[in-house]
Amino acid sequence: MKTLFRASFDLMLVVALLIAAGITASAQSAKLQLDQLDALANRASETVDVKLDERLMQTTAKFFAGKDPDDAEIRDLIKNVKGIYVKSFTFEKENQYAPADIESVLSQLRSGGWNKIIGVTSKKDGDNVDVYLMTVGDQISGLTVVSIEPKEVTIVNIVGPIDLEKLSQLEGSFGVPYLNLPPSKPKSDK
Amino acid sequence: MMMKLTLTGIMIALTLAAPLGARADRDDFNAVVKAIEQFYHVKHQNVPLLARAGVKAVRTAAKIRGGQYKRIAEAGSVRVAFFEDQTFDSHGNMAAFKASIQNTLVANWSALVQTLAPKEEEQTFIYVRDANEKFHVLVITIERHEATVVQATISPQVLADLVRDPNGVGKTITDEATISDP
Repeated sequence: MKTLFRASFDLMLVVALLIAAGITASAQSAKLQLDQLDALANRASETVDVKLDERLMQTTAKFFAGKDPDDAEIRDLIKNVKGIYVKSFTFEKENQYAPADIESVLSQLRSGGWNKIIGVTSKKDGDNVDVYLMTVGDQISGLTVVSIEPKEVTIVNIVGPIDLEKLSQLEGSFGVPYLNLPPSKPKSDK
Repeated sequence: MMMKLTLTGIMIALTLAAPLGARADRDDFNAVVKAIEQFYHVKHQNVPLLARAGVKAVRTAAKIRGGQYKRIAEAGSVRVAFFEDQTFDSHGNMAAFKASIQNTLVANWSALVQTLAPKEEEQTFIYVRDANEKFHVLVITIERHEATVVQATISPQVLADLVRDPNGVGKTITDEATISDP
């Protein structure tokens, strides 16, 4: 009986360690939890949800090998990307969503190693575009763009190293919408 | 004691693996068609003839444009279910339909793209899964009065095209399978 108790205890310890390891890995991951945004779909006139996970990206990366020089650039740009996740909600009228609706995403970006490097606000149009980077040492491990307009919310979450200067090349491909990012150089203002 | 633990571990692993194996063997294409029929109270038509005509039409259109026809789906791999002249009204509960599709395709399928436009009753779902060295793609398109479900086997190269342009290639797969010659 004592041996059985000891074995059970060991098993529980291993399970607890595995869970703790999972939580730690999750905290350091650049992949955001975006599922809580799905509630917005009930109010949105159009919803787009794109999930290109690591397995898909790795499986297909080597096939972006066309003769076109643009293909080579795209291949280099995404060769180490581990995932591209996009959620976009378009609303018929203004004020159909509240800041609280996207707080679950913003709170993740305020912690967990993210730095806001670009923030553009248009008082006239009410448009806001913020770009966040997660870095590990000198390496970019993730990038997130949060675009908030009176009638539209778009979150683009790219996991893995990505060249910010070349981000615009992804616009219109891989489910990434046109973001109208400013051509400014990144500045860290954590 | 060690033996007991090992046996317990094996039993847990088998318990977890069994439902996945059973689900992997079932016909997900038919399950999706059935899920649409049950949710919207509609009936599908199988259109193998239209599917063949569709390939011909796409090939002809490519030649007319001066381009080279490039087959998207592997030959003979296309399955199509077509719902025509029926009413697809989610009664404001598109989320429930989305959930039913997700529950139906829980085994091995990865959701690539989902687009919903409730006011227009338009929805598109694109799922992919491994098929040995190739891939299965499932494209579900629902509009107010018609819907199509297309499953096809595609090469890794086509999967790369799909990843790069999910909506465009997804639409091409559906068009290739369903558009008939004028």
